[in-house]
Amino acid sequence: MKFFKTTITVATVFVFALFITSCKNEKKTANEEMNHETEMKSDNHNEMGHDNSDGHHDNDMATTSEKRDIQASTQKNAATTPIIDAYFQIKNGLVADDKDAAAKGGKALLAAFSGFDMSKLTGDTHKEYMEIYEDAKEQAEHIVKSPIDHQREHFETLTTDINDLITLLGTEKKMYQAFCPMANDGKGAIWLSEFKEIKNPYFGSKMLTCGSVQKEI
Amino acid sequence: MKVFKIVILVLITGLVGIQFFPASLNQNNTITKTDFAKTFNAPNEIQNLLKKSCYDCHSNNTIYPWYSKVQPMAWMMEDHINEGKKELNFNEFGAYSKRKQKSKLKSIISQIKDGEMPLSSYTLMHGDATLSEKDKQLLVDWFTNVRDNLNK
Repeated sequence: MKFFKTTITVATVFVFALFITSCKNEKKTANEEMNHETEMKSDNHNEMGHDNSDGHHDNDMATTSEKRDIQASTQKNAATTPIIDAYFQIKNGLVADDKDAAAKGGKALLAAFSGFDMSKLTGDTHKEYMEIYEDAKEQAEHIVKSPIDHQREHFETLTTDINDLITLLGTEKKMYQAFCPMANDGKGAIWLSEFKEIKNPYFGSKMLTCGSVQKEI
Repeated sequence: MKVFKIVILVLITGLVGIQFFPASLNQNNTITKTDFAKTFNAPNEIQNLLKKSCYDCHSNNTIYPWYSKVQPMAWMMEDHINEGKKELNFNEFGAYSKRKQKSKLKSIISQIKDGEMPLSSYTLMHGDATLSEKDKQLLVDWFTNVRDNLNK
């Protein structure tokens, strides 16, 4: 027992000593920091500078033509189908108030994005795709690991991304863009659905039929 | 009793031992051009709130507390900071794409509103980082304004 007591004492002294010495240090570094508000040139964000200018990509697909018509949201493009299907999977999970199903959809979306062949995208299209992808990926990651109310928030951002992706690259799928005026803290938000019938993913069973179809895609 | 002694000894030796493996520090002491406050011309009041409540984990500069010098706390903190910066780095906010800026702003607003950030485990040790209702309102209003401007 004596040994035990000595050990505890030694340990306590040890921790105490650390406490005292590091406390001093902290004050010092805090002061230093105050005098140290120097300006610095921002280092180049290399990771942002995706170099897409190599021009090696084959340009044989109609959807990858350099000039993109923003209005042409109904270009036929089968390449985006897995992404859109995974998005619908998330949406249907949220409609059913099923957190796990939505999370599964999130995983499917991540897989769909990694399976997407972007080698055919060039220039601005590639740049925009990368931005959409980067954001959508983050939303999907959060949907995989979050409680349902967070999933719904991320789904809202994700919808913007997927909607823009369809505008950018097109789809072969028929779908509807619906609008819920109560989502997004009453500011309203859209979602995409493969069904014409309204089934609200933002509120699920609480307000299943809230919303209206805005347009057909 | 003997087993107990050995366990204690091993634990203490272990604790002392890991003190020799320091964590890397998140300290650059510089303000980048891409800093959030610079990009959006944040008033001092906002800047101070952000520095006090957010920048320890969401920037390239952490003001470390004393216990960060002790392992295994230093490692835990290093993990937290890396995760925090991956999610959101105010110092690099200006370099984010418009799309990312918008969705980050949305998340920031929602996290502050719901009181989920700053984390309670953080405010436990950093009492002054707790946001009052007034602080929250101030931040939410200001962030919302920034977001609305981006949407224009």
